[in-house]
Amino acid sequence: MKGLLKGLVVTLRTMTRRSVTRQYPETRPDLPPRSRGVIGLLAENCTSCMLCARECPDWCIYIESHKETLPAVVEGGRERSRNVLDRFAIDFSLCMYCGICIEACPFDALFWSPEFEYAEHSIGALTHEMDLLGEWMKTVPPPPAIEPGEPT
Amino acid sequence: MNETQDVEPAEWIAALTAARDARHCDFFDFLTAVDELEDGIRIVAHVYSTSTRQHLLIRTLLPPDALVLPTATTVYKGANWHERETCEMFGVQFDGHPNLIPLLLPDGFEGTPLRKDFVLASRVAKQWPGEVDPGQSLTELKKPKRRRNLPPGVPEDWTRP
Repeated sequence: MKGLLKGLVVTLRTMTRRSVTRQYPETRPDLPPRSRGVIGLLAENCTSCMLCARECPDWCIYIESHKETLPAVVEGGRERSRNVLDRFAIDFSLCMYCGICIEACPFDALFWSPEFEYAEHSIGALTHEMDLLGEWMKTVPPPPAIEPGEPT
Repeated sequence: MNETQDVEPAEWIAALTAARDARHCDFFDFLTAVDELEDGIRIVAHVYSTSTRQHLLIRTLLPPDALVLPTATTVYKGANWHERETCEMFGVQFDGHPNLIPLLLPDGFEGTPLRKDFVLASRVAKQWPGEVDPGQSLTELKKPKRRRNLPPGVPEDWTRP
């Protein structure tokens, strides 16, 4: 009896409330901070160290690069070699949005973006290459301000 | 609040009945298994008491040559699907189960996918993207190498030579 009344109270309370319908896509959703929509790549920070691709539990990051030799800066100095990124792709049909790649990146080249509208008709189109991943960087929100009292 | 109870397979039903009746564990949460390799398969059941708010984990270790256990559906009716799943995923038989047919796997599927010796086709068929070294392209991987980068967590005998 007590349980029955409890249930009826919930019904009555809901009955008098207005229903909440989000008018997506006419109105944009109000996403919480740190929403995980898509991953953006800041290619100039990437050193092709392969850490993200190796940490990825879903094996969905593909990186190809080549070595380039830079001439010595000062006379008699040593030649420097560096890696040049040729391909960086994330297959979002496999990605599980764990964010381990972003955590693993020691050079801050990967970022979360709240952008989520990138559905495709073919599964292959979900593999985002470097240019598209770079485009997502425009949608990455600025980092949140450090709270007062936090160690810096 | 949380307690773990290890019992012999022969005491399995008695332990579950005692949990339900003597310890008032009226809520059956789940039943599953853990592959303990050469030690056999451990069956785990989690029950909870909504009155005393006590959690109880009951476990039993089945030797690899006798993966049979009497069904827990006689004690907790809700164990039905859990046992069907444990049967198809680990190959454990539940004697007296009313309907021990596969629950999740497609028709005609062979093998026990949650056993540790089950080879994951997707990990064998696909090349590990992390095998490429910095400054390398995928085509360079075709050349013979002194040392091969191996994916962590994947048994070495899965990957083809």
